[in-house]
Amino acid sequence: MTRYGMVIDLKRCYGCYSCVMACKQANRTPPGVFWSRVLRGEMGVYPNSVRQALPVLCNQCAEPDCMKVCPTGATYQTDEGIVRVDKNKCIGCKYCMMACPYGARYSVPEYKSYFPEGLPVSDYEKHCMQVWEEKRGCGVATKCDFCIDRRAEGREPACNQACPAKARVFGDLDDPESEVSYLIKTKRGFVLRPEVGTEPKVYYLPPR
Amino acid sequence: MGSVKLEGQVQVEWRWLIAAYLFLAGVGGGAYLVGVIADLSGGPDWMAVSKIGVFLGLPCVLIGTLFLLADLGRPTNAWRVWMKPGTSWISRGTIIIVLFMIFAAIQTALWIWPFAGPLADNESARHLIGVLGAVFAFPTVVYTGLLLGYSQPIALWNTALLPVLFFVSAVSTGIMAIMLIGRSQGVEGTQLALLTVIDAVILVFEMFVLIVFLYNAYRTVESRFSAKRILAGAVAPAFWLGVIACGLAIPFFLELFGGEGIVASLAALLGLFGGLCLRYSVLAGGTLSPIMAGGYEFARVARPKDPMPAMGKLPPS
Amino acid sequence: MAATITSKVQEDVWIPTCCGQCYCMCGIRVHRQNGVVTEIEGNPEAPTGRGKICVKGLAGTHLLYDPYRVNYPLKRTNPQKGLGVDPKFVRITWEEALDTIVKKLEACKEKDSRGAYFQATTTAASEIRYAVTAFNKAFGTPNYWVSGGGLHCGNGAHFMNGIMHVSWSIIPDFAHCNLPLNFGCSKGHGAGHTAVQNAIQAADARARGARTITFDPMQSPQASKAHEWVPIRVGTDGALALGFVNVFLNELGVWDDEYLKYKTNAPYLIRPSDGRYMRDKATNKPQVWDLVDKCPRVHNDPLVTRVQYEDQAHDVALLGTYEVDGVKCRPAFELLKEHVKKYSPEYVEEVTWIPAATIRRLGKEIAECAEIGATVTIQTEQGPKKIPKRPIAAHFFRGSQGHVNSGWTCLSIDMINHILGAADTYGAAMGLGAEVTDGYKPTGKPYQIPYPDEDGLLVAKAWVYDHVPYPLRVPKQPTRLDLHDMFPTSIYNAFTITSPHWFEILDQFKINYRPDVMINFGSNSVMTMGNAEIVTENFLKKFNFIFSFQLYVSEFEEAVADIVLPDACYLERYTPAVSFPSTFSHPQGEDDWGWTIRQPAIEPMYERRDFNVVLMEICKRLGILPKYFKALNDMTVMRYGGPFSPENKLCEDGSVEHTWPDVVDRLLKDRFGPEHGLEYVRKKGVFTWPKRKEDVYWKWFNPSRVPVYFEYFIDAGEQISKLCEQYDPQKKYIDLNWSVFKALADWYPCPTHSKEKPEYDMNAFYWRPVTQTNSMTQQNPYLDEITSEDPNIYGIQMHQKTAEEKGIKDGDYVWLENTDGKRVKGWVSLSEGMEPHHVAIAAIGGHWGEYMPIAKGKGTFFNDLVMMDAAHTDPLTLGQDICVRVKIYKA
Repeated sequence: MTRYGMVIDLKRCYGCYSCVMACKQANRTPPGVFWSRVLRGEMGVYPNSVRQALPVLCNQCAEPDCMKVCPTGATYQTDEGIVRVDKNKCIGCKYCMMACPYGARYSVPEYKSYFPEGLPVSDYEKHCMQVWEEKRGCGVATKCDFCIDRRAEGREPACNQACPAKARVFGDLDDPESEVSYLIKTKRGFVLRPEVGTEPKVYYLPPR
Repeated sequence: MGSVKLEGQVQVEWRWLIAAYLFLAGVGGGAYLVGVIADLSGGPDWMAVSKIGVFLGLPCVLIGTLFLLADLGRPTNAWRVWMKPGTSWISRGTIIIVLFMIFAAIQTALWIWPFAGPLADNESARHLIGVLGAVFAFPTVVYTGLLLGYSQPIALWNTALLPVLFFVSAVSTGIMAIMLIGRSQGVEGTQLALLTVIDAVILVFEMFVLIVFLYNAYRTVESRFSAKRILAGAVAPAFWLGVIACGLAIPFFLELFGGEGIVASLAALLGLFGGLCLRYSVLAGGTLSPIMAGGYEFARVARPKDPMPAMGKLPPS
Repeated sequence: MAATITSKVQEDVWIPTCCGQCYCMCGIRVHRQNGVVTEIEGNPEAPTGRGKICVKGLAGTHLLYDPYRVNYPLKRTNPQKGLGVDPKFVRITWEEALDTIVKKLEACKEKDSRGAYFQATTTAASEIRYAVTAFNKAFGTPNYWVSGGGLHCGNGAHFMNGIMHVSWSIIPDFAHCNLPLNFGCSKGHGAGHTAVQNAIQAADARARGARTITFDPMQSPQASKAHEWVPIRVGTDGALALGFVNVFLNELGVWDDEYLKYKTNAPYLIRPSDGRYMRDKATNKPQVWDLVDKCPRVHNDPLVTRVQYEDQAHDVALLGTYEVDGVKCRPAFELLKEHVKKYSPEYVEEVTWIPAATIRRLGKEIAECAEIGATVTIQTEQGPKKIPKRPIAAHFFRGSQGHVNSGWTCLSIDMINHILGAADTYGAAMGLGAEVTDGYKPTGKPYQIPYPDEDGLLVAKAWVYDHVPYPLRVPKQPTRLDLHDMFPTSIYNAFTITSPHWFEILDQFKINYRPDVMINFGSNSVMTMGNAEIVTENFLKKFNFIFSFQLYVSEFEEAVADIVLPDACYLERYTPAVSFPSTFSHPQGEDDWGWTIRQPAIEPMYERRDFNVVLMEICKRLGILPKYFKALNDMTVMRYGGPFSPENKLCEDGSVEHTWPDVVDRLLKDRFGPEHGLEYVRKKGVFTWPKRKEDVYWKWFNPSRVPVYFEYFIDAGEQISKLCEQYDPQKKYIDLNWSVFKALADWYPCPTHSKEKPEYDMNAFYWRPVTQTNSMTQQNPYLDEITSEDPNIYGIQMHQKTAEEKGIKDGDYVWLENTDGKRVKGWVSLSEGMEPHHVAIAAIGGHWGEYMPIAKGKGTFFNDLVMMDAAHTDPLTLGQDICVRVKIYKA
């Protein structure tokens, strides 16, 4: 079985936001929607304080709380373990957004333009709105799906492809020979909020 | 540990519409429960109180449900909401409130309006249906707390105290709603006086639960920012003016010392408003706690909002 | 699900081209579907990033389609100019615009063609240095300015790197460097040249276990990735660097003997009387002392030179006193060694606020990490060759060089590398760019191998400007409006042209013409030079007519432009060679060379036109097209590594009118053979060829030396000061401290370090965030949104305790006021990641223009605090000091 996962090396990551932008562009997400996001943290006291960036995205949990709380079954897992939303089943109750331990889900009531209201919408934004309406939809929950459509075209997940620090590795967690498996095993890979028991499939390597 | 004031990611999805739903479900369920208890234990003197309580159940929960529907992103898909009672508190809740509404509707229709007869005469049938209704009225009031509590990352909600708080508030606001209507619908002074005393006691208890709830929230690292947000942050006006002043303090003192006529009605109205504010404060206080990784706390850091871009000027074309 | 969209698609193409969101010029691929640009990603064929790309590059679609873009020529109808003036722009036709412009230029030519002046943005680096400069030459004006010369450009860094590394910038050889030392820059962490490729390499280095140390008052992105962040007082990097040099030379007794003896002028014998080289009577060449034969020898005597590491030579003296022609002289190295004694760790602690113990500890660590004596063997064209391995590199950029001590600070930091032999060799500090390449084998172009001059010092073969950084031009009677001719050690200056007495200065220096027509290429100099009011009133309003090729109506156009021409953005035009002039986008390290072109991903929309094409049209109307082509031919030599072959040369007799794509085509065919013209290169967007290892690690393959003793600065200083005094004996207009023109590096305090007015107790400085370039990207709503995600970029960063003492809370709005009473507003972002006496402001924020509403009001306009006078100008390089002492109070 293929079970897709990702490894993000925090030692490599320098918080440049390329993944955020690559995701926005690849998935034509509207303002305020960040399936891929960078959080900031700081630790310690001057002069020994350290800052660190933490790129986050849907963890494609094996035991996803978002799927459990979904009242309609709109949220489901593919055979490859990717958590998706069927927009035709979603009622837009946003309960999944409350339950996701990673804040990885987004819903917008409408696709607002990036520019002030009242201006003619550009060809690019028209295109984005059309893609959004077809693939995701307004009013329903949306989320990262490890770029399932891009991968069908033979492309990498967008965040992976762009990352100028090569901090992200995407691959099959079930394949013991894969780079992701190797990195998790040998470089002290860990997951976020393990205590919630959702069994995330995005792993991190320690920053130092 | 983190030396920067990290603020969690504030949940902005569930606000007034959901607060109205939680509140109305509370009032309806609470009033129904009070009505049924009055009917079971009160005797003929309490008949007016029972009827009002039972009567309030259906419309409050129904209107509340409409608020819930209004909050849905895709209301046209709402019929699918039953599909996952095994795991989803929304599915479970829907089943509970629908069953509650069915019993409340039977109870109302056959006792109060439009067919006032059948159950008025048959006390044991009425009591049986009342108890069955109450079996669903109780979870109607409580499940909202469980629903929020299931959200693991929002530590403010993820506590057993929340259903307790919602239950106490539901009973209190239910009594207030009964008193508000009862005054013009022929409820006797004796009953009103007793209800007032009961409500005052419940208010004290509610205050106690609320203090423990917030103290716990503050003491827990993950929900400290939520507590701060409620006590001193963006939610503070709704909390101090709405919940504490309107919802608890003023009604309590008016109930103790004022007691009569328009003043009592005012106390009830304020109390109801406070109940709404309580639901709002709990919702708006909800924040995703910072994520810990490698010794750091990570969160989105709240900053002053930049102004929304104005239209500006377009270059002439 | 995608079926509906795909079924509608008639056109679905990827166009390989080049990014233009900053000066890094990374290769990109642009996705066009049904005539709409829908996606941008990195071009895996381009060595500048091999498919990786930064946040700005990914956000380009919104620049292309921004409804606030200028789409038609505009004319100012309000004759009044200035900040806050409504220009009352109206749309005009291209015909009217060109007609007006040509008339103004003709009138200017008639009066004095030197009255024409151009300024340009750094993001069009390649075009400025080719098409635009050629236009200037054809028109007949020497006057230009790269906007940001005040704030954004590296007068100190570029000039000094040019001298020491024949490059625009230096960068660690991340692939093998074990200890990168970062002085106030974010190279490898989102900023600097070839930023994406450097970021990949820096990440590789971290993963490999390289230890990094960052000296910066702020915990920059780079500092946060470093193993050790050493907070430093702003403007004192030079003192710290000399402190390290002192620790090496006088406390540890560590230096790279071989490197200093054969690759620098350290062994050159110096006369005690005037500090000049002891020259050989017959050849006039500097001499060194041969320790084997106990006699002086000229520096390039084969007996005392080692071109390659394995060459044999006589030992030469670095220390001691030797008698030559009856004069007792000493090697330059000994003078340097004695000179740096004053930079004791204790003194440096006083200056930099870094504990002496830390300086000693790090000095020792750096010296040990340099592995002096270690070698590696690399494969060259002549077989395997041994070269030194020196896995440490001190590097710097805007932060450490933006001060009145700019020039010497850069040299001092680089001195760390040269004392330890860690320059342009394996693991060391490397020049960035393609300054050393013998070209594509079949054509031998571009050829740019540096060579030694008569004094044996390194001379660049190709350079960004008309004169190489070394040897210096002879200072001449000024003819330019910024007196540039007088200042051979500077690239630009701001203090003359922004002076309230500009025209008096011109009178004083016998310059008898005045600024007349300004041509602006995409720059927003109202915001990028310094205080907006000073720039506008003292400088920009002195022009009679200003026309501007621009993407938006920026604050510049609003304030002063008479005509705005709708420019094509980088996705809508051709550029023949974005990688050249040879500095901007060449990957450092062992990956291939790449010559990247830019081609339109989409035809220019509306009435936008490529400024290169419009320039040709203007030349045609002015009747100077043949001159323009001749100028392009001339520029090709210095910029693109050698002259055109006759068959590709542009026509200079007026019989052929080349189009812009034709120029691109000829250039490519000339460099890479007739089969590799535009049609060929456009398929991949880049032409690549293998890089020789000896082009990467060129130090021990090149016969030149670099100076550690800057003998020629003494002459330059004397010449410049003499010229200045000749015109301005009272030092009324040019009052600079000429004593900094000397042979040995020193540190000088900034005005910021003054103890006067103690209530101005905070030091404000500026930094470059990864999400923004210059001032224009702030209008991009994608970038604006992502910038808002960051807690620091739009804020004023400050230490929590300092803020607490001042009663300032996180998120409060504050004023920063400089000692001149100029003030700027913003909100504070508190953290532990700041030296407590500093405040940091990112990017060029605080836009106020009505025509850029996304940018308006975001961030803080730091430049308004920047003072542009002689006191804030480095006498050596005329670089601008951009640290400011401020007081801070709640708004």
